[in-house]
Amino acid sequence: MFTIISIELYKIFRKLRTYISFGTIGLLGILILIAMLVEGKGYIDMATHKLKDSFSFVGNFLNGYLIGYLVLNTLTIHIPFLITLVAGDMLAGEATAGTYRLLLSRPVSRSNVLASKFIAGLIFTFLLIFFLAFVSLGLGLIVFGTGELIVFRPENLVILTSNDVLWRFLLAYLFAFLSMSVITALAFLFSSLVENAIGPIVATMAVVIVFLILANLDFGFLKYLKPYLFTNYMTTWNTLFDNPVDFSEFIKACRILALHVAGLYGVTWFLFRKRDILT
Amino acid sequence: MKKILLLIFITCSFALAQNVKPETLIRKVKENFAKVKDYEVDAHIHINVDFLKVPETDAKIYFKQPDKVKLSSSQFAMIPSEGLNFSPMSFFKGNYSAVFVRNENYTGFNTAVIKIVPLDDDKDIILSTVWIDMDYFIVRKTEITTKSKGTYALLLNYDVGKTKYYLPVSMTFLFDVKTDNLHGKFGNNKDTDKNGQKKKSMKGSASITYSNYKVNKGIPDSIFKDDKKK
Repeated sequence: MFTIISIELYKIFRKLRTYISFGTIGLLGILILIAMLVEGKGYIDMATHKLKDSFSFVGNFLNGYLIGYLVLNTLTIHIPFLITLVAGDMLAGEATAGTYRLLLSRPVSRSNVLASKFIAGLIFTFLLIFFLAFVSLGLGLIVFGTGELIVFRPENLVILTSNDVLWRFLLAYLFAFLSMSVITALAFLFSSLVENAIGPIVATMAVVIVFLILANLDFGFLKYLKPYLFTNYMTTWNTLFDNPVDFSEFIKACRILALHVAGLYGVTWFLFRKRDILT
Repeated sequence: MKKILLLIFITCSFALAQNVKPETLIRKVKENFAKVKDYEVDAHIHINVDFLKVPETDAKIYFKQPDKVKLSSSQFAMIPSEGLNFSPMSFFKGNYSAVFVRNENYTGFNTAVIKIVPLDDDKDIILSTVWIDMDYFIVRKTEITTKSKGTYALLLNYDVGKTKYYLPVSMTFLFDVKTDNLHGKFGNNKDTDKNGQKKKSMKGSASITYSNYKVNKGIPDSIFKDDKKK
C-alpha cells in the first residue's frame, strides 16, 4: 500500500498544476508580509484607534500571529479552489490520459487503488495546509516576532497573550486540514464520475460557492438548511480564538466534517467499484 | 418633644455642614498627595467588560508630579485610560467651583462628599463628586461625569497606618461609557447609524491591585516618552 501511495504522490508532484497551489499560497503569504511591513502599523492603529479612546495599553499587536490569523481567514473560498485543482484530477486525469484500464489491470484491487489515490490526495492537502502555516505564521513570526493576538468579532473583541496562542494555531491548522479534506473528498467523488478534470474542479467549487451563499441568506426555509451545509462548519476554527474556547462546538464541527470525509469517500468507493471502465 | 429633637438635629447638621469648607478639605488632600513627588508601582489588572475579553495582566505604572503617568510592561497590559492615574490633583485642576454636599459614612470611614464643577468650558469633565476621608484627607471615592466618555467611578482602598504615604493598595474602576464600535477598521458596524452617531453603552469594571511602591526615588522624564510599541 505504501508503494502505491508513493507512486500516487509522485504523480501528483510531477504535475505542474500541483505547484500552482503552492505557488499561489507562497505568493499570497509573501504579499501579505510585504503589505504588513509597509502598512502594518497603520493597519493596527486604524483597528485599535477606538479602543485607544477608552483604554491605555502596551503590547505588540503587529506580529506573526496576526499574519497567521489573517491568512487563515482565506480558508473558506481560496484554498478549496487550490485543492480541487489536484483532487479533481486524481481519477478523471487517469481517464483523460487513457491510463484507467492499464492502472486497474494491475494485480492491485480497485479498493486499494482508490484508497491510495485518496490518501495521496489527503497528504497533498496536509502539505498545502502545512505550507500555508509556514508562509503565514512561520514567516510572520520570523519577520515580526511574537506578540498578542487581537481578534475582532461582531460581538466582542478578544485579546490573547503570546503564550496562549500557539496551541490554538496548531489545532486551527489541524482543523483546516480536516475541513479541506472534505473538499478533497468531494472533488475526488466528482473526479470518479467523469473523464475530464475540469468538470470536478468546477462542480466542487460550485458546491462550495452555492453552500456559502445559502448559508448567508437568513430567510425562509434556508435558515433550516444551514446545519446541513458542510461549509457552515469550515469556519469553526475561529472558535479556537475565543476565550474561553467552546470546545463542544469545535468537536461537533470536527465530527460532522470527519463524517463528510468518510461519507463522500464511501460513496466514491461504492460507485467506483461498480463502475464500468471504458477508457 | 420628637419634633423639637428633630429640629435641633437638622439645625446642628446644617450648622456643621456650613462649617466644612470644601476648599480646606481639597487643600489638605492636595498637601497630602504633594508629598509624593513620584512613584513606581507594580499593578495587577483585571478588566471585566462584556464585549472585551482580555487576560489579567501585570504592569508597572510610573507617576511623576504633576500629571506624568506611564503604563509599562514587557508583555501585554491594558487599563482603562481614566483609571491609570488616581492622583487627586487631576480632579482639582484648573478653575472649579466646589460645594460641600453632606457627610457620609462610606464603607466605615467618615467622609465629606464634595461636588466639583469645572468652570472652564473646554474641560471634558462636567461634574465630579469626591468622597474625602475626614480623618486622613485622602480620596476614598470619585464619581466623574464627562461630555465624551460617559460616567466613571474610582473606588480606592488604602492601607492607612502601614505606609508613610497615603497611596492606594487597590482600586476598582467602574465605567459606563457611551461608545461606538470598538472594532475600528475591520469591525462590524451594525451598531452605528449612517452618520455613525448611534452609540452603545459599554459598562464594565477594572480591578487594579498595587504592590511594591517605590516612592520619591526619582524617575527620569525619559520614562514618560512614548515608545513605538504602544
